[in-house]
Amino acid sequence: MTAPLFNKVLIANRGEIACRIMATLKAMGIASVAICHRAEAQARHVRMANEWSEVTGETPVAAHLDIAQIIAVARKHGADAIHPGYGFLSENAAFASAVADAGMTFIGPDAKTIALMGDKISARNFAEAHGVAVAPSVMPTGDVDDFVEKAAAIGFPLLIKAAAGGGGKGMSIVRDAQGLAQAARIASGEAERYFGDGRVYAETYVERPRHIEVQVLGDGEGGAIHLFERECSVQRRFQKIIEEAPAANLSPALRDEICASAVRLASAAKYRNAGTVEYILGADGRFFFLEMNTRLQVEHPVTEMITGVDLVRAQIEIAAGHGLPMTQDGVRIDGHAIECRICAEDPERDFMPETGVIRYLGVPEENWLRFENALTRGQKITADFDPMLAKLVAHGSSRDEAVDRSIAALRELALLGVKTNTDYLAAVLDHPAFRAGDLHTGFVAMHGDALLPASLSGQEKAQVLAAAALGFREFRDLVTGTPEPHAAIGGWRN
Amino acid sequence: MGFRLILDGEEHEITIIRRRPHLVLDIDGEKHEITDLGSDGDGRHELGAAGQAVGFARATHGNLQIVRLNGRTHEVALVDPFSDAGDAGGALDVLRAPMPGTVISLHCKAGDAVRRGDPLVTIESMKLQTLLPAMRDGTIAEILRTEGETFDKDEVIVRLEAESEKA
Repeated sequence: MTAPLFNKVLIANRGEIACRIMATLKAMGIASVAICHRAEAQARHVRMANEWSEVTGETPVAAHLDIAQIIAVARKHGADAIHPGYGFLSENAAFASAVADAGMTFIGPDAKTIALMGDKISARNFAEAHGVAVAPSVMPTGDVDDFVEKAAAIGFPLLIKAAAGGGGKGMSIVRDAQGLAQAARIASGEAERYFGDGRVYAETYVERPRHIEVQVLGDGEGGAIHLFERECSVQRRFQKIIEEAPAANLSPALRDEICASAVRLASAAKYRNAGTVEYILGADGRFFFLEMNTRLQVEHPVTEMITGVDLVRAQIEIAAGHGLPMTQDGVRIDGHAIECRICAEDPERDFMPETGVIRYLGVPEENWLRFENALTRGQKITADFDPMLAKLVAHGSSRDEAVDRSIAALRELALLGVKTNTDYLAAVLDHPAFRAGDLHTGFVAMHGDALLPASLSGQEKAQVLAAAALGFREFRDLVTGTPEPHAAIGGWRN
Repeated sequence: MGFRLILDGEEHEITIIRRRPHLVLDIDGEKHEITDLGSDGDGRHELGAAGQAVGFARATHGNLQIVRLNGRTHEVALVDPFSDAGDAGGALDVLRAPMPGTVISLHCKAGDAVRRGDPLVTIESMKLQTLLPAMRDGTIAEILRTEGETFDKDEVIVRLEAESEKA
């Protein structure tokens, strides 16, 4: 057996993605180091790691963003590389630099590439300069009136976005000149709060846009391949909830064109490691560059399922200087995969985040299913972190089969104790428009009411009530005739 | 008198008609034969109802049973027999937090006259900001959480003067 590519890798993350990365590290014979805030000392990712250390901070999120502390922990454990996962410090150029300065390998792109792609405006300019289509837009100026005038000139509707943004923060659609100035100010305020950078810009808003993204791998020297596209059009609050690969109803010619565009960008940027180039695709087949995510994506499992490539392994091999794990010809699509993000939220109340305690967790097991999670019974779901709890990823030989399997697995999944969007996701998948592949980012808003649960039939109500009643000690004792003291309490005796 | 449960905001009554040879329940006035009670406690169980096996998952949370059946999750509460379960009234007098979080900014102060739908407070939970509007026309009596303060679900953040005080 050959020596492992690294001896020990620190994962600067938590939750399902930390567990996901550790699974590959283990398979590669590499030791793992977990970090956690004190609130999560019992978490699955901590128990799964070979070693771990606590990181402190005013909030759990702040602890996970503390570069100096994380580097110190990595040094203390003798880690020779750091995997950032997604979110947190994964797209922080200063972190990538700090890891390199500390003599460790950052499993991701170069700090310079992160900085280039992290600023939407410089990313856009770079894409445009390298023949990647971008939407007509107006760049920010210090003068709001000037900005408003220029933005109005490119025509409505417009999308207002934060230059340093992501995740839908500081973003809004403006349909006429009256709303523009106010929308720009609100977006700027939100951008300032979230990113410490109040710059916003406006661009042509494509009606019924589809969100298509291409998974790429780059060797850092201009060599790059793609692993086909994912469609992530089903979103709420500008955040993805269902992703699939490949995209439905995409002509082979258009697929080739979009994937080639992404490879061109990755190659021009001398991109190293795994990355994702995001596009919006209009009904007319025009597509525009949106942004490049310089990290492993939440929805990477759908690509893994259709290509058979372990993207985390590819990241580690590239970081270790082994170059790309395969040529473009070696990447093929096998079947179809769908990911559903299980979130602690209430779809009936505008997807407001929910909290609770996991009282019971029942997960279906199938060879075509991945349930990516770090959940344990008794775990508190708090407002400390993102509401995404788990990802349910199903593979099928066809899109129809992947849809049916996903629905079956969602129905079977029992995550009790915190309200989730599980049933809502099943309703989306079962909607005729979803089954037909008629997707766009306004899907949730357009089909809103049809996706909410129907009222229960009399028989279903009776079944639920009987099942619930038999869970109450007081009732069960009455039924089984146990002369428990409970049975004498209260006014429900016949 | 039967056993009272609340499902989806409606009260239901379950009475035991017979225990043997198998359980017969009266649920909202209709008879239901339960041939198999399923196991005790939290987890996956099967109920034999009307000769049919119905699979479900169940978990207990204090006064609640959380039941997942037929691809849907339901919360069923037990009505406390000692409580009148009466609403204290005046639900529109207080603005309650729909989820735990932090107050980001207040858009009103005590004594302000507000109209239904006016923004009262912006809260944040799990990185999500939400504007909470006034639940009716009225006058702000009291603000119980200031900017930067945290609160739990259902905590009162703003109180309006009672309707009767206005006239």
